[in-house]
Amino acid sequence: MEKIFTRFGDGTPTEMSESELRADLEAGTEDAADRGKIPPLTEDELNHLFDIFSSPYKFISVEPGQEIVLTYDGAHVKIRRHGLNVERIQGLQIYEKVMGADTLELCHVDYSFKPIKPIVTFEQPVMEQALLTTHAPMFYGAMPNLGLYSQPDGPFPNPAELMPAGKIEEAQASHELAVKEAVRDIVFVGSCMIECGADGINIDSTGAAGDADFLAALLATQQLKEKYPHTCVEIGMAGEFILGMHAGLEFEGTRLAGLYPHDQVKLVEKAGGTIYGPVVNTNTTESTPWNVARVVTFTKAVGEVAKIPIHPNMGMGVGAVPTCDHPPIDTVSRASKAMVEICRLDGL
Amino acid sequence: MALAHAHASGMGGMRTSGDLVARMQMSRGMKIKEAKEYVANKLSLSVTEIADPVIMTEVRQDLKLGVISPQAGDALGIEAKCRIAEVLDIDINCVNRFKNKAGI
Amino acid sequence: MLDEKIIEEAKQLILQQNKEEAAKLTQKVISEGTDPLELLKEGFIPGINHVGDLFGRGQLFLPELIKAAATMKTVTDIVNEAIADDSEKQQSQTTVLIATVKGDVHDIGKAIVVSLMRANGFVVHDLGRDVETDKIIEEAQNVNADIIGTSALLTTTMPRQKEIEEALKSAGLRDRFKTIVGGAPVTPRWAARIGADAYAEDAQDGVLKVKELLAQS
Repeated sequence: MEKIFTRFGDGTPTEMSESELRADLEAGTEDAADRGKIPPLTEDELNHLFDIFSSPYKFISVEPGQEIVLTYDGAHVKIRRHGLNVERIQGLQIYEKVMGADTLELCHVDYSFKPIKPIVTFEQPVMEQALLTTHAPMFYGAMPNLGLYSQPDGPFPNPAELMPAGKIEEAQASHELAVKEAVRDIVFVGSCMIECGADGINIDSTGAAGDADFLAALLATQQLKEKYPHTCVEIGMAGEFILGMHAGLEFEGTRLAGLYPHDQVKLVEKAGGTIYGPVVNTNTTESTPWNVARVVTFTKAVGEVAKIPIHPNMGMGVGAVPTCDHPPIDTVSRASKAMVEICRLDGL
Repeated sequence: MALAHAHASGMGGMRTSGDLVARMQMSRGMKIKEAKEYVANKLSLSVTEIADPVIMTEVRQDLKLGVISPQAGDALGIEAKCRIAEVLDIDINCVNRFKNKAGI
Repeated sequence: MLDEKIIEEAKQLILQQNKEEAAKLTQKVISEGTDPLELLKEGFIPGINHVGDLFGRGQLFLPELIKAAATMKTVTDIVNEAIADDSEKQQSQTTVLIATVKGDVHDIGKAIVVSLMRANGFVVHDLGRDVETDKIIEEAQNVNADIIGTSALLTTTMPRQKEIEEALKSAGLRDRFKTIVGGAPVTPRWAARIGADAYAEDAQDGVLKVKELLAQS
């Protein structure tokens, strides 16, 4: 057989022999199994991935009947990022009508709950107007972004400066104060958007600032679901395991630092989350087959324990999608098919 | 990239019943299989049919659930969502608010 | 030649972040006339590398990494004090200048890089976040850095890393420093495209790249 075309995790084109492809698939699943302490993919699953990657076609898809729903974080912001002068509601309409989006998400370009707080009354009419003219269910999305609560952007001492200086207790105390403020902001903004008609709140890129970030999302979810039991709260992650920046934080008796997706989902369920969005990072120096095998192994383990719908993140740099501005269709479609067909996904 | 996913594995939103299936996940926490079966049952269609754009465009037009390319008289936006709430037998937050405000 | 048990004990003391016992062990090795550099290279450095690996796997966390780094610094200081050969001292005092580029205020990942590099015995000058290109180059000269490491978390701030490469060339300083680039959207392809000497996938990879670059020079 001729060499098989694929790419590295940064999008760089490359070619592989069949044996190289198989070796990378095996190495990818072993890496995930080793890190997550979960089973590697079976021989049948690896064979299926091999077929996906050795397909000569530029674009491939799931079989009819296996389609899933797609959620898009920060959708309309991406249209503006391309340099198109489209305002937010038009952006949502483009996603709905042109791209066939299953769900929509209104957001502010500063995608964090804290800066939305003082302008939420300007955001509410936009949500109300968007809801009048669109059809698909609508999220309001933002990040907990605990980095914004420390100096110079916020009131508390900066743990990123305190920790390297050896001031561990001071850094931990700062994280704990930030959690309280972030929960208050997420619940405030989330409540405002629900009360003007939003179908759901997407707490996105959770854990970006470590375990305190994840704790804030879980506590906020708990409070939002207590206030609005029928509202959808999605928790989307930032990375594959929870960085222990504080290291001692717990939710309902479980230490958060170091949790991998199959354990994260259990806490999202405990907090009352409706949808969980796991993330597995793309390694830019490894091949796409290696990355896909790794992501599928982690995500399959989530699918096997999740009682709530799971929507893994498959954007630039995560979910085996290459880290480049315009991830190529050959790679994205292979990753998409592999994830949906092996991992019991409910959406992306 | 979003388009690649949409074509590789997406339901297709309003082209089919993707938005309706998503609503069942969001409002009732249903997994994909249960959500698709629920929607198919409510529309008296098969699970395969609710992912077919030709069949679903006709069904959506007939039931006034909103379509990609509306003709004069088709249900738009909140009008379609009032119908979606009825057909799927679910509460839609903005529909309830709209009815309250409009005195319906 | 050090006993295998002592080497293993040194590794474990780093993993346990036991500064006092690690210091005692180092002093004992020195007082017995054994080569302390061997203890450092065979015991403590593999120990801190293992700490970095565990951190990268989510099995050990930042406070523990900081304590392990403090332990490492203590033993490195004792060893440096004891060794007579200045060239060895020089080698163990690699200077790395680190900054998040202009326009980018993300510093959480950089804090991890700084911690792990210090843990590996490098002298690290952290200029913080949102740092002008000119300041990075000026400070690199002031502290006589071996390596300039920059972080960019956004696609919109990545071009500043290219700007640094170009400014170094314009100033005739490109050969004086090795450059490493990192950050979420940064890739090996980007590093090659802008002419950086290395790309670091994460903090532990950053340490490896510093060592690789030093070995080349």
